[in-house]
Amino acid sequence: MPETRLLFRHIDEPGLHTIDVYKQLGGYRTLERAYREMEADEVLTELEDSGLRGRGGAGFSMGKKASFLPRGGEMEKYLCCNADESEPGAFKDRELMQKNPHQLVEGIAIAALAADASRAFIFIRGEYDLQGDILDAAVVEAYEAGYLGQDILGSHRNLELVVHRGAGAYICGEETALLDALEGKRGNPRLKPPFPAVQGLYGGPTLINNVETLSNVPHIVANGADWFKSFGTEQSPGTKVVSVSGCVQRPGNYEVELGIPTRELIYDLAGGPGDGHQVKAFYPGGSSSPVLTGDDLDVPYSFEAMADAGSMLGSGSIIVADERVSIPQMALRTARFYHHESCGKCTPCREGTNWTVKMLGRVTDGEATPMDLDVVASVQDNIIGNCLCVLGDSMAMPVGAMVRKFRAEFEELLYTEDTGVARIGAVVGKPEQMGAMR
Amino acid sequence: MSPEAKREITLIIDGREVAAPEGEMLVDAAKYGDVEIPIFCYEPKLGQPVGACRMCLVEIEGTPKLQTACSTPVRDGMVVYTQTDQVKEAQNAVVEFLLVNHPLDCPVCDKGGECPLQDIAMGWGPGRSRSTDPKRHFQKPLPLSPLIAIDRERCILCYRCVRFSQEISEDSQLQLLDRGDRSFVGTFDDRPYIAPFHGNITELCPVGALTSYTYRFRARPWDIEQGGSICTLCPSQCNVGFTVRDEQVKRVLARDNPEVDDGWLCDKGRYSFEMLASEQRITAPQIREGGNLREASWAEAIERAAAGLREAGPASAAIVGDASNEEGYLVQRIMRQALGSPNMDSRPGGGPDRHRVIELSRPELSVSTRAIDDADAVLVIGTDPLHASPILDLRIRKAVRRNGVRLAVANERPTALDGGAEAVARYAPGGAAAFLAELNEGMAVIHEGGEAQGETAAAASLLCAAGRPVIVWGERLGRGEAGPVAVDALLELARGLGCSDSDGAGLLGVPETTNARGLREVGVLPDAGPGLTEVDSGRDAEGIRAALEADELRALLLFGADPVRDHPGSAAWDRALKSADFVVAFAMFEDASAAQADVILPLQSHAEKEGTITHPDGRLQRVRPNVEDPGQVRPVWEALCELAAALDHETGLESAPDVLATIAKEVPIYAGITAEEIGGRGVRWQERDAGGALPEGLSERGRSADGAIDASPRDTSTRGEGPVGGELLLGTYRDLWATPVTELNPPLRFLAPQQRVELAPADAQRLGLEDGDEVSVAQNGTSVGARVAIRERMGEGACFLIEGTAADNANALLNGGPVAVEITKVGSK
Amino acid sequence: MNGGGPTGLTQGASAPSDGSGLPVDPALVEGRHPDRPAEEIPEIHQTGCPDHLRERIEQLMSRYPDRHSASIPALWAVQQRYGWCTPDGIRQAAAVMRVTPAYLESVASFYDLLHTKPVGRHRVLVCTNISCWMRGGDELLDAFCEAAGCDRDAAGQGGSSSEDDELFVTGFECLGACDLAPMASIDGHYFGPLAGEDANEAVQQLITDTEVLPDKALAKRGAAGGPEPEPDPRVAKAKGG
Ligand SMILES: Cc1cc2nc3c(=O)[nH]c(=O)nc-3n(C[C@H](O)[C@H](O)[C@H](O)COP(=O)(O)O)c2cc1C
Ligand code: SF4
Ligand code: FES
Repeated sequence: MPETRLLFRHIDEPGLHTIDVYKQLGGYRTLERAYREMEADEVLTELEDSGLRGRGGAGFSMGKKASFLPRGGEMEKYLCCNADESEPGAFKDRELMQKNPHQLVEGIAIAALAADASRAFIFIRGEYDLQGDILDAAVVEAYEAGYLGQDILGSHRNLELVVHRGAGAYICGEETALLDALEGKRGNPRLKPPFPAVQGLYGGPTLINNVETLSNVPHIVANGADWFKSFGTEQSPGTKVVSVSGCVQRPGNYEVELGIPTRELIYDLAGGPGDGHQVKAFYPGGSSSPVLTGDDLDVPYSFEAMADAGSMLGSGSIIVADERVSIPQMALRTARFYHHESCGKCTPCREGTNWTVKMLGRVTDGEATPMDLDVVASVQDNIIGNCLCVLGDSMAMPVGAMVRKFRAEFEELLYTEDTGVARIGAVVGKPEQMGAMR
Repeated sequence: MSPEAKREITLIIDGREVAAPEGEMLVDAAKYGDVEIPIFCYEPKLGQPVGACRMCLVEIEGTPKLQTACSTPVRDGMVVYTQTDQVKEAQNAVVEFLLVNHPLDCPVCDKGGECPLQDIAMGWGPGRSRSTDPKRHFQKPLPLSPLIAIDRERCILCYRCVRFSQEISEDSQLQLLDRGDRSFVGTFDDRPYIAPFHGNITELCPVGALTSYTYRFRARPWDIEQGGSICTLCPSQCNVGFTVRDEQVKRVLARDNPEVDDGWLCDKGRYSFEMLASEQRITAPQIREGGNLREASWAEAIERAAAGLREAGPASAAIVGDASNEEGYLVQRIMRQALGSPNMDSRPGGGPDRHRVIELSRPELSVSTRAIDDADAVLVIGTDPLHASPILDLRIRKAVRRNGVRLAVANERPTALDGGAEAVARYAPGGAAAFLAELNEGMAVIHEGGEAQGETAAAASLLCAAGRPVIVWGERLGRGEAGPVAVDALLELARGLGCSDSDGAGLLGVPETTNARGLREVGVLPDAGPGLTEVDSGRDAEGIRAALEADELRALLLFGADPVRDHPGSAAWDRALKSADFVVAFAMFEDASAAQADVILPLQSHAEKEGTITHPDGRLQRVRPNVEDPGQVRPVWEALCELAAALDHETGLESAPDVLATIAKEVPIYAGITAEEIGGRGVRWQERDAGGALPEGLSERGRSADGAIDASPRDTSTRGEGPVGGELLLGTYRDLWATPVTELNPPLRFLAPQQRVELAPADAQRLGLEDGDEVSVAQNGTSVGARVAIRERMGEGACFLIEGTAADNANALLNGGPVAVEITKVGSK
Repeated sequence: MNGGGPTGLTQGASAPSDGSGLPVDPALVEGRHPDRPAEEIPEIHQTGCPDHLRERIEQLMSRYPDRHSASIPALWAVQQRYGWCTPDGIRQAAAVMRVTPAYLESVASFYDLLHTKPVGRHRVLVCTNISCWMRGGDELLDAFCEAAGCDRDAAGQGGSSSEDDELFVTGFECLGACDLAPMASIDGHYFGPLAGEDANEAVQQLITDTEVLPDKALAKRGAAGGPEPEPDPRVAKAKGG
């Protein structure tokens, strides 16, 4: 089964990132219609009916979240586009912004209409320099074309859009940390409630959505909820841009209908591990999702099926590990990432990630005792559900799963003094052998 | 924050019904059912909960995940479990996590015995740690400031100290640096943390990470006693607890009183206890003999004092500074009844006449400190609370930050509150009266539907829009020739704002001395007796000084006052004391004035004294003895009674309560008040039945019964443009640290201000001066040395010096109203 | 940050006793004196802030309803001007923003891309996260350290600069380009997939200020993973961009 390109339609069209080409291909017509002919509530209903689920990780209904914002009132409302994309394995938003920035700008403008927001921000991770520049240019074009600014298309509606660059902190992708960062503070998550929809940026009601989520908006409003629901499954309507990487021959982004077998993504599209290697484990939804094994390849790629399989679709990023990869090493890499990125605000995450890294380090160095493995496992349990935000859980879940599902491999390391394991297991082959990469 | 009572609701905690106010956070609500939920980061004084430490996790029926009790408001019928396995596991986990990197050095930790981490680890921890890996290491302990040591290994990153710095004192010097488990509490570029309230973080820290050098290793919880009193070092009158060991104060802690201090202390109050037991303390009576002072018995000293005063009789006078109501009452009684002298004052530089004082005291025109929390708008005029009454500065910040109170600040000099103000107005030194007049005009214009113009416009419209405005005003604007006009304008403003008929709206004065209000109300004024009753009027402070110089007065009684340092015109006061035939000084230390006394009688400190004082908002509070009187020091009321007796005036008073009882008889607005009624929290006299018992003040329209004095032309003309040429208009202010307290307490010495003259950039440029230049600031003949400090937010044409510095005291240049000064460069930095 | 404390304050060694056997801190006897002032909100004239920096930061502040929001952009501007977030640069930004330098340092120290210590002129961030690691990210980091003359261990823990301060090489968490694995971000531009040889080439090009690895630049790559499929009929007849 091939890709189903909706957001990625025309993705390789030269100059798609310019407003002219985008408009030639039908761009901004939906915005014009929405601002000229539609009521905010119509737009909102369309989005709610479409069943579009958040593409940033939580998978919460986009329309419903927008409907949580109070209607009317003097208080200024905000829309924040979450373009922090920092979860290992995820690189879909990067491509969407780099190749089709106006699709996002149009989506933001329409979503802002639905949420009655008059100020919007795109919080883009600081590493995405190129994409930040492209967005800046697109925003300027959109202002000049009158799609942003004051009294848009004579609708008496205003929208100011600012591209705000982060400076290197995964946690800023967490929606409330993003708000603190945007307010100029350290990017620490906030206590919820109050939820951003009620009290978010500068204390005002705020809608926060992922780049891909918002890029879907123009298509839904243009073609209707029913049309959108004709893609994907009942509980996971639409398409999904999936980032596939790791031990596959054609790593990259593939846009597919939600619900296709994961195997097709990993093998048919990304080319699988290649020459006689087998999938040993894979993260189905970014490094935060509990790993699945080679036996789970036929799990449909949808929010609900992944949940049933004991994992999650998350940001929709598949990282494949074949039999050459050391799971304990992979667990250590994973833990290291979350330890490095923990903001330090809450105790279980700050100390738990730190402790886990130390213990896994001893495991991979062959210095750990069997008891340590139990402690590793129980520390993960002690983290899950006890943190301020889910960053802690995001380490504990995959690491816990790895220890559970591949315990034997961990135990093997306990007694050997040989620390070479890692290196042998790590490298899958030099890029030049990795097949065609466009 | 708002005081109105909340609805009672019932919830079920661990199977038992608990009644609690609706909306209360679960941790606090649980206390009503004697259920303790462990906490670290939660501290309501710091504002909204942050839910960081995760110690307070509990199970709430209907929510799958455990919830933080510190951030969960209680609802009716809520069902909570704090003892289930799930909760216990979470608590064990959090404690274990906290200890993963904790040094566990309790035996050598100063917090040992009073450490929440220790207690909670015992009560809620797993009892053992499974962590065998190396711990995080920091250099320790390091000086965070000259007063506080930081041990970062002990820090549990609860955020309390940094939240204090950012959201309470708003100095924002103390920050969290780095990220994750590398995070640590620190300052920019490893600078010292120096800010007027920073000592509070040692009380906030739930572990031994932040400790005061003044207390480290000085006592263990089991050999100390705690006692309560009031800090009498400034008009804030914060409620304090003394940590006493071997009859010596070793530590001063806050004793939360939401009506007064919100549970905070400034560093002056917190770190100035060394002086109580210092060698410099005068612990025995002294009398001058052959030019030198020698120790003497109380009997001999009092005899000498009586003789000297008797000699002068009605030609004697009294200047009272820091004194309790009882002491002040007895002093005025000695003056008026034993010596027949009406000459006395308790206000440096004098102040408004009796009628205006009465008007300003009207209960309907005045507000409680707490009213600031719930005001719609606050106008701060003629004072910088940070220096004059520090805790008020925090109160106003809180109101603005948390309750969205709109703030306007009008002052000669930039204030610490300008940053949070919606409207900031600057007027030239001495220009308060004219500013207020213009403000009133602006208000009138707005009331007629017009637009206010000029510098006062912003403040005017802000105040007009407010249903509950509070005006915090510096009582010094009632000084001098322009004083009466300023006060009348202030009263007109308050009435114009309808303060008299709206609760929570009105005036709050910021006086120059700690118990100014109490001393006023017990009759230490030249023209008002106890209860502000009418008496034949005598000379005020300025008048007394002049009269002494002119030999119209011959004897002076100084009580807790050092006019040479603290009053305007130091030089003149020095001459006045010299020309006096006889001076008796009640003093704790030999200050510049006491040094010239013929008799010195020792005073008690606020750690030894029994008595009452009155807060600027009318709240009577009790000062209580916590340590024994050092040396010969004894209750001063007693000594005063003996002095009176020696002057053939038998008071018949047997005890401090006796004195209070007499005050309660003679001061109608205090009628019937007792120490018991005042209790540990104090009472505002305005809120008692007797509150209405003020005498007649001004007749309507704020005009003085004895005819108002007009603003002297100088005062109005000095607004805006300053004097010509090299001359600048001098303004002065009392810096928080320009006090003997700073010098008498070694730990605070580094804060003693060097004299500096503040200039607007334009003026500095015109005079060819740069930051740090050494200059002399001169005014007909007299001059003081200073260093130039350029201030971008200063009004042009004015310059500012600090009053009360040990050297180069600006008071030397003053002579009542504002003066023009010449600044000349002496050297560059 | 070194986790140190204010320097120059006399250390509180235990000294005279107060008679009860317990040591008394010298602070109680002669007091302590800081050798440097505390850092409050500086006034602009005290910081020597260059006009263009001031104007840039003021312009940044104007983009937001609350000036504090400009903290990260302002720190970027400081880093651009001085190569890293120097104490003086931070003071200048703080003076313009009317916040304390501590506030800005606290923010800067939270983020990986803002440097509160000096770093080499050209910045090479090598991804060593899961996907890149599987494909030789560690080896790529080795190669860059080798080529640039940077310390490998230091590069693995926060970064290392070359002797001449021309290069700064650091291992980095996922840069959002696993499709390029193993990859690196060089002066903000993405390159990959990279082999050891590419590291040498890139370093040479950086030192000689010539264009870096033109044919490995992300900016020049086509987008999607696979070939353009036949449009789905539902998509084909769809309206909108
Ligand atoms: C630690 C952490 C990191 C996250 N990072 C991102 C991110 O980089 N991009 C993103 O869109 N959502 C991220 N999220 C999810 C956001 O919190 C939020 O759910 C999402 O942006 C909502 O948008 P959506 O409903 O369109 O998915 C993260 C969540 C957590 C807990
Ligand atoms: S020093 Fe104390 S108060 Fe400050 S963060 Fe650490 S534990 Fe909390
Ligand atoms: S006390 Fe509730 S989280 Fe710290």
